[in-house]
Amino acid sequence: MSVEIRGLNVTIGGHAGSARGGSGRDGSGRDGSGNAVVRDVDLTVGDGERVGLIGSSGSGKSMIAKSMLGLLPRGARATGSIDLGGTEVIGASDRTLADLRGRYVGVVFQNPGTSLNPVSTVAKQIELPLRLHYDLTASERRDRVMAMLDKVGLTADMAGKYPHELSGGQQQRVGIATALITSPKLIVADEPTTALDSIIQRQIVDLLVSLVDDAGASMLFITHDFSVLARATTRCYVIDDGRVAEEGATADLLASPGTPVARELVGSARRLTLSAVGSPAVSSTVSSDRGGAR
Amino acid sequence: MESEGIGRVFAALRALWRRGSGRYALIVLGLWIAVAIVSLFWTPQPLLATDGYHVWAQPSAAHPLGTDGTGADVLSWLMAGSRTNLVIAVLTVICSGALGLLLVGLMVSRSAGLASTTVAVVDALISIPTVLIALLLTVPFGASVGVIVGACSIAYGLNLARIARPSAMLAARSDYVESALAGGASGWYAFTRHVVPNIMPVLTVQLTISAGTSVLAEAGLTYLGVGVGAGVPSWGHSLSTSVKLINVFPLTVVWPGLVVTLAVVALNLLGDAFNSAMDEGSL
Amino acid sequence: MRFLAHRLLLFVAALFGVSVLVFVALRILPGDVAAVMAGTAATPDRIAALRTQFGLDRPLITQYLDWVGGLLHGDLGTSALTGRAVVAQVGQRASLTFPLIILSLFIALLIGLPLGCASVLANGRRMRGFLHVLAIVGGAVPALWSGLLLILLFSRGTGLIGIFPSQGFPSEGWHNPGRALSSLVLPAVATGIVAGAGIMRYTRAAVGDVMDGGAIDMAMACGMTRTQAVLRVGLRLATPQLVSVAGLTFAQMITGVMVVESLFALPGLGALLIGDVGNRDLIAVQSELFLLAAFFLLLGLVIDLIHRALDPRLKAADATGTDAGDGTTGSAASKGGE
Repeated sequence: MSVEIRGLNVTIGGHAGSARGGSGRDGSGRDGSGNAVVRDVDLTVGDGERVGLIGSSGSGKSMIAKSMLGLLPRGARATGSIDLGGTEVIGASDRTLADLRGRYVGVVFQNPGTSLNPVSTVAKQIELPLRLHYDLTASERRDRVMAMLDKVGLTADMAGKYPHELSGGQQQRVGIATALITSPKLIVADEPTTALDSIIQRQIVDLLVSLVDDAGASMLFITHDFSVLARATTRCYVIDDGRVAEEGATADLLASPGTPVARELVGSARRLTLSAVGSPAVSSTVSSDRGGAR
Repeated sequence: MESEGIGRVFAALRALWRRGSGRYALIVLGLWIAVAIVSLFWTPQPLLATDGYHVWAQPSAAHPLGTDGTGADVLSWLMAGSRTNLVIAVLTVICSGALGLLLVGLMVSRSAGLASTTVAVVDALISIPTVLIALLLTVPFGASVGVIVGACSIAYGLNLARIARPSAMLAARSDYVESALAGGASGWYAFTRHVVPNIMPVLTVQLTISAGTSVLAEAGLTYLGVGVGAGVPSWGHSLSTSVKLINVFPLTVVWPGLVVTLAVVALNLLGDAFNSAMDEGSL
Repeated sequence: MRFLAHRLLLFVAALFGVSVLVFVALRILPGDVAAVMAGTAATPDRIAALRTQFGLDRPLITQYLDWVGGLLHGDLGTSALTGRAVVAQVGQRASLTFPLIILSLFIALLIGLPLGCASVLANGRRMRGFLHVLAIVGGAVPALWSGLLLILLFSRGTGLIGIFPSQGFPSEGWHNPGRALSSLVLPAVATGIVAGAGIMRYTRAAVGDVMDGGAIDMAMACGMTRTQAVLRVGLRLATPQLVSVAGLTFAQMITGVMVVESLFALPGLGALLIGDVGNRDLIAVQSELFLLAAFFLLLGLVIDLIHRALDPRLKAADATGTDAGDGTTGSAASKGGE
């Protein structure tokens, strides 16, 4: 599925205390007030393409992903145009967006420890998109869940477990299985590896990439870490202060970052790797990360 | 030193005033305190004066809210009652705050046995209703303001301790406190300098709401005969008296309840305003 | 299992503690109990007779053990006033009070849960503000006043629209279920509205907390709308907290329930207890207070157990013997609805 974003702006409106009600009158209904977190962003993802969004935290990259999915927090407003495989997302109804999510668009979140439903078993979690979008019998769902568990490298006995009984890496495998169970045409991965340690990071990225490629889906991969980005994407956008600072093939950007922001991000990816390798005490844990930021 | 303290109080009042909820709360509470003070010197009719000719008087110039069936002036008793309720609210805040802090202190104490015993006692007693405590106190001590304050303080103090415990635990186990204790600081020092400031926000909000709940408790307990003693003016007393009027002048029933509701709403909104002002960092 | 054993032990210890407190407050602190019970105008002979009748001349420890021994056998003593067994009186009155409390709680949940969810879901600032104020005002009304206003509006005889009876309970009790129930409607609404406002606030707070957690985003990412996610996932995740809140609301509603019992002239437990306290029938009061306190301790126990059972994370914590989730239990709960 292709993504076409044109002139996207996201503002987080008014004041933080608005949820409590009864706060002052000033600044409430004024248009254009509030904090612009995404400014005039153009972005495309082609069919079957894996594209990265990279930027430091607070650069607005997550807000771009959230506005694609209709998951913006209350008080945030998006304008412009986002076309997901022919459907305009901005201004679409909650129902339309819900029909897209989990069916044509799968989402992998940053922190599976908090995003997986703590009172659902693994099997119930993974089959949720199937339940919501398809009319299958319980045994059909069960078969698909079992097949999916196998694909993401989890054993069948995990099906009955609760998220808190799993390790961080296993939890993220459940997250990936949930995102992919309906064979969606687009995967949005929002910092899927940030909460994991580096060996697991690599395994998860490789798993995600192979599953996405097998399914012929597109992927938008969001991260602040070039070393992960290089494994996951072929092309990427560097986001800074809500704007696209630079775009191009990931390999080219790594080799010769053009803007100060990109240089900073590439530099920090290198430094992290180099300093880690240089210190013998921790070298064992990062040795597997060598290839990351070559 | 002193002027700095006063300056901080004014800054806090300004921060509250900027919010709609805080403004309403400050106006109502200001009125409440003003009326309580005025009632010390003047009420439309003397409290004990009964108008024998107008035992069930309609609202009039002499009796703006009518008389209560014994000839006493409803407005005068309401005004005088604001005094009693102010005293109850203030004492309840002080006593339940003190009990709550004491319990929190025990809960985060270095002695594991003491801490877990306190947690257990609080957990077990939390479900005992205020009215049962009041009934238990009223038999030996007689119905009085003290019984209301005592019952409310015990119930709200337990509740406060339970609510404040998570943030208190977090503060007490923080690196900052660990290093302070390792550096020879006393447990008392760590508690007052680090734990108390950390639970101050939840404490402030909760105590404000408790003050409001004490007004409601007074109304209920007094009606049940275990609140303020007979002949003591209070909003609960006025509300209970108004029950007799329901078949005579139904509209006079409205006033005492309205006063109680407005005051409790004000205290709850004040809690809200505290909450949002502290969220914003302006307190 | 460890938690269960621990909590049961605590319950028994609390029962013992409460029995001592009640005994001290009612038998020791008032001084000469027989004189108190007999009243100011009593003759010395009458006082002496009471003293021997209730064994008040024996050592306090014997009296205490005798009382507790009786409690264990289900013997709560006899009322000094009516001469009837306390246990029979309590049982009869409870058949009015418990349906009343349960009906009130039902109304409170019926009001509080939907409105609480609505305040989480409300999009407009104005709507959120309105619901917020509604919750605060609803919770600030004394039960006595809401009862009076309901009488003015809906009672037969006095009310604008006379639908429900406002005084008394049918003498044949629950043998006439329709009349019995209709006489409980106004009192239950009077307390239910106030408690409902509390439940509404806690629902908003508890579901609001869950909203920040990520599980809601996940449910939406799987294909739920915001409303579906709040109702199906948010509410479920908030349930353990809401059970605690409902339990504490139940306990705190008792003041309001006693008030409306008196206002609507219902012969319930509250009326019994208040009457006995007023009549200085200390023997009866002692057992009644203990029984009620024991009931609320039991309620607290049951709520804690349900809370545990509803959250698999806490169950796991029990299995490993740690005490992870403690302190979250009912942390959103507060005493309200007097």
